[in-house]
Amino acid sequence: MIPPFLHINGLRKTYGPVVATEHVELSIKEGEFMTFLGPSGSGKSTTLYILAGFQDPDTGDIRLRGRSILGVPSHKRNIGMVFQRYTLFPHLSVGENVAFPLRVRRLPQAEITRKVRRALELVRLGGFEERKPASLSGGQQQRVALARALVYDPPVLLMDEPLSALDKKLREEIQYEIRRIHRETGVTILYVTHDQEEALRLSDRIAIFNAGRIEQVGTGAELYTSPATHFVADFIGDSSFLDGTIAAVEGRCADLRLGDGTLARRIPLHAPGRPGQRAELMLRPERIELSPDPGPDGASLPVLVQDVTFLGNITDVVALTAWNAPVTVRLGFMHPLSGRLTRGDRLWIRWAAETVHAFPRD
Amino acid sequence: MASRVTTESPVHAASGGVGPAAGHAGSATVPALRRRPSGLALALPALVLLLAFFALPVVLFLARSVTEPQPGFQNYAALFGGPTYLRILLNTFIVGGVVTAVTALLAFPVAWALAIMPPRWSALLFGIIVLSMWTNLLARTYAWMVLLQQTGVINRMLQALGIIDEPLRLVNNLVGVTIGMVYIMLPFMILPLTGVIRKIDPMILQAASLCGATRGQAFRRILLPLAAPGLAAGGLMVFVMSLGYFVTPALLGGTSNMMMGQLVAQQVQSLTNWGLGAAAAFVLLAVTLLLYAMQIRLLGRPEGMR
Repeated sequence: MIPPFLHINGLRKTYGPVVATEHVELSIKEGEFMTFLGPSGSGKSTTLYILAGFQDPDTGDIRLRGRSILGVPSHKRNIGMVFQRYTLFPHLSVGENVAFPLRVRRLPQAEITRKVRRALELVRLGGFEERKPASLSGGQQQRVALARALVYDPPVLLMDEPLSALDKKLREEIQYEIRRIHRETGVTILYVTHDQEEALRLSDRIAIFNAGRIEQVGTGAELYTSPATHFVADFIGDSSFLDGTIAAVEGRCADLRLGDGTLARRIPLHAPGRPGQRAELMLRPERIELSPDPGPDGASLPVLVQDVTFLGNITDVVALTAWNAPVTVRLGFMHPLSGRLTRGDRLWIRWAAETVHAFPRD
Repeated sequence: MASRVTTESPVHAASGGVGPAAGHAGSATVPALRRRPSGLALALPALVLLLAFFALPVVLFLARSVTEPQPGFQNYAALFGGPTYLRILLNTFIVGGVVTAVTALLAFPVAWALAIMPPRWSALLFGIIVLSMWTNLLARTYAWMVLLQQTGVINRMLQALGIIDEPLRLVNNLVGVTIGMVYIMLPFMILPLTGVIRKIDPMILQAASLCGATRGQAFRRILLPLAAPGLAAGGLMVFVMSLGYFVTPALLGGTSNMMMGQLVAQQVQSLTNWGLGAAAAFVLLAVTLLLYAMQIRLLGRPEGMR
């Protein structure tokens, strides 16, 4: 069997009594754009630093093309990295910054000149060779950092929240650039972020980190449509959760008794559950329907409109169930009710069984 | 005058907070409010004091180099004309250069350690370094004499360990002067260097490492150039102080490597030859100013002197 391009195997790292990351298990394909997504302190950056060689794991292994890289010091790993903070060498010009990895590798001058020009053209900063980093904008500095990390054709490029210091508009612009550069170079990218929109926009696959572990790995669509855990469901997309009790189990589906006694029928279960167990019903705001009439039995609930927020192309409605649990519903601009709702309206939410999920509680 | 400034600022702050209209009304009066008193009157007593008790005596002393024993440049002719004084001048620069270089070599790792240590430990180490500066100079220099002399602690220990047969000559020569002066100069190099190294983001060195730079390459190509302003500021301070040093060369140095400071003292104190002493002092001052001008030209004004 061909070993995976990059394999992270059972990684564990502790700082004293604090477990930063454990049981990290991941295979990455050559040329893949993989994002580590999670809140701060979830172990995603620690995993990246171990890959970069800044930290050693307590246990576990990382294999690149079948060979362990843990014994290899940072400067021999041949891995590229773009950092959260600006890390250009302030005393060197843009051209010399990009040339630096080639100079320490003692390449001939003609080749250095050629590669530096090509790398700067790749990040659309051709002609900036003589400028000093301090004279560039934040976005330009990160693009130079990207050129510096790619100029020596590393097999893997690590990016540690490289856009977090930039404003939203610039961030989107550079996200687009990163996608283009990924397409043009075919480099394998490991990208760390806490911004779910950024992760969805950029990645082939996303690994969701929580409390030091990977909760789920999958494409954005997989994570959205079939979240494996409550945490993933909460982190990808906005969701509302309603408390209930499992009334009956049938295969991988269950009937849920909700707070006002309504029975939600045939809800897909995300873990084995048994009757009598408490469970949460997850509702995606854009996948539930708001209507003046009740839907078919077992797939609707009466609600009271609490708050209406107009957001341009969409309108967010927060409604309360009979037992005062909030549910968010998102209406498109063309929705017949859009612009006609006010606080205190009595309506119904309706859902199709395959678009909702139930997470049994331990 | 200070009270005027404090009464003005709340008015100015309030005008900005009231609203656009109030802001406009306020801005019309801003030029008048912004005009700051130059503070010359406040500084005047200190300036008079400095002029009368510092600048004037120096000028009077230096003037003696062209007025004694008779008007003319004969003192400078004597200083640069014969091999004796030129030798002393050269020796002064050699000692200054060696001391500066050795100080820089020793100070760099200490400054690096201070910069990356946890704050509590670096504060402690800082305290120890500063404490050494407060200890009497003469006492420290005599202590080195005791340690370094032929029958001193260091020679005895090395002989007892069988490392050397004959005692090493560690005093009354360049070695003794260098050891004694480096010890005194170290804080003046460590302090500016630490300040500069602290401002270097450690991530930059990690980035260099991932780019493929070995520790040596990262040091040479990244850390050293970034620390250069600190080295230059500390180096200039140490070199200039070394040029005029008297106590340490007098106690730990030999007669064959006399320095300018000793020459000035000898001429003025022992020979009451104020003219030649003043000329030697002027040469030192001129060299110092020249070096300072060069540093500003090359690296801009050093930190803290802006």
